[in-house]
Amino acid sequence: MVESGLAALLSAPWAASLRAAVSANVLPGSGSGADGAEAGDIVLGVSAAFSGPSRGLGTELYRGAAACFAHVNDFGGINGRRIALKMYDDGYQPDPCVENTMQLMLEDQVFLLFGYVGTPTVTRVLPILKKFQSENIYMFFPFTGAQPQRQPPYGEFAFNLRASYGQETAGLVDNFVRIGRRRIGVFYQMDAYGRSGWAGVRSALARHGERITGEATYGRGAKFTGSMRQQVEILKGAAPDAVICIGSYAACAAFARDAVDLGLEVPIANLSFVGSENLLNLLTEGREDSERYTRLLVNSQVVPSYEDLSIPAVREYRELMERYDPQVPEELVKEEYAALPQSFGSLEGFLNAKLLAEILRRLGGDVRRARLEQAVFSVSDFDLGVGERVSFGPDRRQGLQTVYYTMVEDGHFVPLEDWQAKFA
Amino acid sequence: MKIEKLFQRTRFGIFAMFGAIVLSTSVLCVLTVSTELSAEYEINTSNIAKTVANSSVDILLNRDLATLQSLVDQFIEIQGIRYIYITSETGDYLAHTFVPGIPDEILASDHRSTEPVERDLPGLGIFLEVGSPILAGVAGHVHVGMDLDVVALKIQRAIGQQIYLVAVILVIGVLAAIWLVNLAAKPLGELLAYAVELARDGNPEALADRAVLARNDEAGHLARLFLYVARNGKEPGAMSPAPQPAD
Repeated sequence: MVESGLAALLSAPWAASLRAAVSANVLPGSGSGADGAEAGDIVLGVSAAFSGPSRGLGTELYRGAAACFAHVNDFGGINGRRIALKMYDDGYQPDPCVENTMQLMLEDQVFLLFGYVGTPTVTRVLPILKKFQSENIYMFFPFTGAQPQRQPPYGEFAFNLRASYGQETAGLVDNFVRIGRRRIGVFYQMDAYGRSGWAGVRSALARHGERITGEATYGRGAKFTGSMRQQVEILKGAAPDAVICIGSYAACAAFARDAVDLGLEVPIANLSFVGSENLLNLLTEGREDSERYTRLLVNSQVVPSYEDLSIPAVREYRELMERYDPQVPEELVKEEYAALPQSFGSLEGFLNAKLLAEILRRLGGDVRRARLEQAVFSVSDFDLGVGERVSFGPDRRQGLQTVYYTMVEDGHFVPLEDWQAKFA
Repeated sequence: MKIEKLFQRTRFGIFAMFGAIVLSTSVLCVLTVSTELSAEYEINTSNIAKTVANSSVDILLNRDLATLQSLVDQFIEIQGIRYIYITSETGDYLAHTFVPGIPDEILASDHRSTEPVERDLPGLGIFLEVGSPILAGVAGHVHVGMDLDVVALKIQRAIGQQIYLVAVILVIGVLAAIWLVNLAAKPLGELLAYAVELARDGNPEALADRAVLARNDEAGHLARLFLYVARNGKEPGAMSPAPQPAD
């Protein structure tokens, strides 16, 4: 594990401000203090996947958030206090994530938890937050749409920005059913994330009087080089009209590849967590016939397209990403990863950071954890710049509700407007 | 001179006795270890199923299947537990650990059954499956599969260790017995050699320096008796009282 921020990532003239954004004040005694009341940086604790087959998710989410925080710090921080990140790698594995969280809460005494990645990791951390509820440590905007952090008994310890997997899967199912594709199969990761999506599909199909047609699973950590032929054969045997995948980009890309190779030519849908660009890269890199593998893909997203420059937040995001181009600190980099100029993941990270900065501003000079919930609930009809207004309240702990649908065109994910024309 | 014939049966007896001990101990050990460990694993599997069932109640009532799966994933990390699945009261599979899919044998089984059953799942292995009801079955059932290959391997290891220990004791015991027998046979050999020389030469004075005569045991006593008889040229029945041991 590494104590780090953005310290090692930059050489450009704006490096100083970006370093300050995430790496400063992480030394003992210089943090935000047990309840955030002490002067100094506001230290946010991060445990995410910076290694392993899902490292792209943690990396991109971090890059977007880091660009935003760098900008905030450049303009005086939050009421004169800079935002710093204390980061650890959990490789998208629950046990390291739990250890990291204990370290962040008890040793590092961060102000809040931010930028966590994944359902199997987050679901294991939630009981810790309940255990230490008297400390008022909250988790902000985890990169997962699962239900546990949205409902009792742990919902009160987390705040979400993105739409839930339930909303994503319901949208996918509703659209497929609308165009006559009622036999839905599910390919999912054998863990809490996969189960969360599976439950969403099951519930959505039940509303249409249908059941899951067939299901196949894979183990977390599967690589693109691995075979998913068994899973394809299982689903092919069920003769689905469409398959909804709840997995990571490496496994879902392998499944899409093997599905096409084995003749399972039906729409293959993926959730936002998949990491659309990384999925696309795996399916297209070095292939002349890549269109074969991508023409039936449909990915749901919880943020708008980063190609849509009519959206103010997208313009801001692209400008800051270009200006700062943050990279994961070297200490956390164990495997090679080519960062993407823009991605849905980094846009989500950017929006998460932008909203969190606004919430921290609302604390004013009295930066204490005990006041955080009140500050969050004060967010009402806030314009994040994506078109949809954001509100929070005791019974509303998720900021955005919109799900966007995308398909691949000319090697890019573009909005899917007409399902009938595409898949009927 | 070696005393082979006299102790041949003794050595055979020692081997036979130790062999019988080792064999009976090993058989008993195999039976005990196998029975005890098998029973223990079955009880453990049953306890795990009950624990999962008890832990699942609130989660199921909250319809939080992600947390339910997370719970199951934690139990699957226990050594020997190869699969867990939870069915609803209507038989829907709400959480499981099968990759790439739920085996047909499981799908065809009675999800309400809680009796221990041995399952042979092609490509996966042979398992002892134990079930436990959730809320007396009205909320569903938990089924836990213990890998019998792992259990068998553990039993084999335990038995192997016991047999190894007994075998080492056997070898050491036999070697020690042989050494002790040889130790007892050595003075007898010396006595025999002395008696043969005495009978062959007929001159007791020429053999008066033999070491066996100085021994302070039964062999020395007998040697001195032979010497006395030879010197006095008497028949054993006409002997005067024999000399006392040189204590």
